[in-house]
Amino acid sequence: MILRAVDVSVAFEGEPVLDGLSLGVETGEVVAVIGPSGVGKTTLLRVLALSTRPDEGTMEVDGVDAWAADEAERLALRRRIGMVFQEASLFDASVARNVEYGLRVRRPWRDRLGEGLRSLGRSEEPAAAVREALAVVGMGDELDQPAQSLSGGEAQRVSFARALAYEPDVLLLDEPTSDLDPRNTAVIEDAVGEARDRGIGVVVATHDMHQAERVADRVGVLLGSDLVEVGPTATVFGDPSDGRTRKFISGELVY
Amino acid sequence: MPLEALGAAGLPIAVGLPAAAGLPFESVYLRSIVAVSLYVSVTAVVLSTVVSLPIAVALGFSDFPGRRFLAAVITTGMGFPSVVVGLLVLFAVSNQGPLGTFDLVFTREAMIVSQFVLATPPITAISLAAIGGVGTDVRDAARVLGGTKVDVALVTLKEARYGIATAILAGFGRAISEVGSVLIVGGNIAGSDGVSKTRTLTTAIQLEARQGRYDTALVLGAVLVVLVLIVNAVVVRIGDEGVMQ
Repeated sequence: MILRAVDVSVAFEGEPVLDGLSLGVETGEVVAVIGPSGVGKTTLLRVLALSTRPDEGTMEVDGVDAWAADEAERLALRRRIGMVFQEASLFDASVARNVEYGLRVRRPWRDRLGEGLRSLGRSEEPAAAVREALAVVGMGDELDQPAQSLSGGEAQRVSFARALAYEPDVLLLDEPTSDLDPRNTAVIEDAVGEARDRGIGVVVATHDMHQAERVADRVGVLLGSDLVEVGPTATVFGDPSDGRTRKFISGELVY
Repeated sequence: MPLEALGAAGLPIAVGLPAAAGLPFESVYLRSIVAVSLYVSVTAVVLSTVVSLPIAVALGFSDFPGRRFLAAVITTGMGFPSVVVGLLVLFAVSNQGPLGTFDLVFTREAMIVSQFVLATPPITAISLAAIGGVGTDVRDAARVLGGTKVDVALVTLKEARYGIATAILAGFGRAISEVGSVLIVGGNIAGSDGVSKTRTLTTAIQLEARQGRYDTALVLGAVLVVLVLIVNAVVVRIGDEGVMQ
């Protein structure tokens, strides 16, 4: 497992959001976490992104306990993970500058300052990785567009490219298409497939079961602060072993 | 920038106006006043910005007991009367004051201190509001994309750049247009050769108007307005270019 949560628990103001939950993702695998809104999918992704420290349990990146490591080591582990939020959350800059961000922060300060001085008053040619990542989401011709001028769907595609550009080992997607039209949704889902083909492990949190069925190799069902079932997509949707999963998939209220 | 360099820089408006318009004062008078005004206010605002931005970032990124109180104190400082600031700075730099050994009474440096005190609250408070207005989603994005705390702070400053530019302009506006404190700590001194020592545009306008030389006062007023407009344009342009990232 490239990324693994082991028995993690998170509580907010005494209320458990995640309770002793375990989930991992392999390289080149897509895992979907499905569950109703407000069940803790975002919290789980934040824990996986090493952004939220779990109250209990461990987070492992390539077998290394991330929260037992020192801050510098944890930053290095964190930099192997990319995340796309439900909102595109683009910076107020051009598309190219946005997508280049992950690459830029990974360069030493000396190089960054030198580049900053050189680029004063003129635009730098974007890195090949930036062009390539934008091409994956069909935004290769929009390099110089101001991010604020993009539509919601285009912004989310750029957000995806921004996380893909620095070639993370794991990509975490939090409801990446919940506000998108079918065309933009299809672009993102194709990009998820492309990421998998590149050997990236992908975790998608979604309330859209059809999407999970389309993109995922494995599915975890998050209900009541725990994953009640994790298994191959066909099994979870075709022959779930847990009664609550069966009810959730058939549309019955189980929360 | 040294004062002499500012004076020697030309300041074409200041040099050209008196001769062209046949005004009743020497160009060196106007030029030296503009130079003193710019030297004092720009230095004070630069120092204020250097101090204010880290404070605004620290306050904007932390949550501790008393944070809101501290922010309220800074906001209140925006309305602090400039004559009172001048009086306090005068006490501080006088012989018996804590800065007495530096012999700063009626110097440009004392004027810088008083304008620094006046400009810091608006720059800090408006910058803090601008930083607080940057969405947490943008900070989160910078962090999960691999940014360090410094990177996240830089992104936040970049996103807040228009607000910060406004803050610096507000500080500069307060510094260059105030008359009370610079009059008290600077003394509005010009030499017998007509060269300003501690006379600024505002204190000169006050003096000229009091002595009935309204034409001179009006020209000085116009120069002051043009200066503020130029500085506004430059700061907004810098913010627009995103140089702060």
